[in-house]
Amino acid sequence: MTDWSEVWLIVPVYDEGRVVGDVVRDVLRTFPNVVCVDDGSRDDSAAEIRRTGAHLVRHPVNLGQGAAIQTGLEYARARPDAQFFVTFDADGQHQVDDVVAMLDRLRTEDVDIVVGTRFHGDTSHIPWVKRAALKAVVRLSPCSRRLGLTDAHNGLRAFNRKVALQLNITLNGMGHASEIVRLMEYWNWRVAEEPVMIRYTDYAVAKGQSLVNGVNIVFETMLRNRAGL
Amino acid sequence: MLIQYVLVASCISLLILFLRKRGSVRTAAGTKLAFVLFVMFGIYAVLRPEDVQAVAVWLGVGRGSDLLLYALVVVFTFATLNAYLRFKDIELRYARLTRAIALRNAEPPSAD
Repeated sequence: MTDWSEVWLIVPVYDEGRVVGDVVRDVLRTFPNVVCVDDGSRDDSAAEIRRTGAHLVRHPVNLGQGAAIQTGLEYARARPDAQFFVTFDADGQHQVDDVVAMLDRLRTEDVDIVVGTRFHGDTSHIPWVKRAALKAVVRLSPCSRRLGLTDAHNGLRAFNRKVALQLNITLNGMGHASEIVRLMEYWNWRVAEEPVMIRYTDYAVAKGQSLVNGVNIVFETMLRNRAGL
Repeated sequence: MLIQYVLVASCISLLILFLRKRGSVRTAAGTKLAFVLFVMFGIYAVLRPEDVQAVAVWLGVGRGSDLLLYALVVVFTFATLNAYLRFKDIELRYARLTRAIALRNAEPPSAD
């Protein structure tokens, strides 16, 4: 058994009471350190998390996924023993096996951050609208293209302490994924991609980002670029 | 004309309101100056519409009222964008405040 005590999983949670308990318990079987950030959920997410043995940080009001990730990150990086950090979605679409593979690469290869990608090999399990939208986002982002990223909006990322200390997400909403890509270039992090499996359960699809939100992301990102970092 | 009295009066009351409400030192002096200039221009435009007309003709806009409309659109767009950026900035501070509260009240797993 590998020792994962220096790894922290950051799980942003918003109204995931139905699934978050099982997802976190499943993760805790492998990784001892999980911090769930309850982003002002209106349901019983917090109570579900308390029953799991994960650390719980609660936003008194809803801020958005980007803000929740940043909060979890600040909680985790305050731990002196924390060396590796993983962002993991609460809806059960990510696989623990993928996280293990990404962490192995972080430990053995010369990389600072490993990002999951859905676009290696067979992509037929991804709903086609989603596939088209995600590809369009990558094509629209000069940063992603320069870095050779194929899936900028994958919620599964693993990174080392250096990245954790430099990462400062200022976009509270869903624009944070693009912001992280921009920071990769800004700080010159060594980036790698790891093919991951996304489980598109009905629950995850219903909860997922709507395509309309893509417009918000593009707009937010553009304005943020003009206004500088 | 009666409308001139009404418009000049509203310009002046706007100015008074602006200068009284935003008493804080931090308020950008530039904004205040711009506003004072704007009010003065407003009063001038009300009393001497033919001058505005002349400027409009000189700029190739035809009518003075059209010139005012274009200026209004530009100013409105600028103000909206400014408000948006300011709002984003406040949102970020709000997030940091919320984060500080959240981290202070963090709940480690209960020992069992």
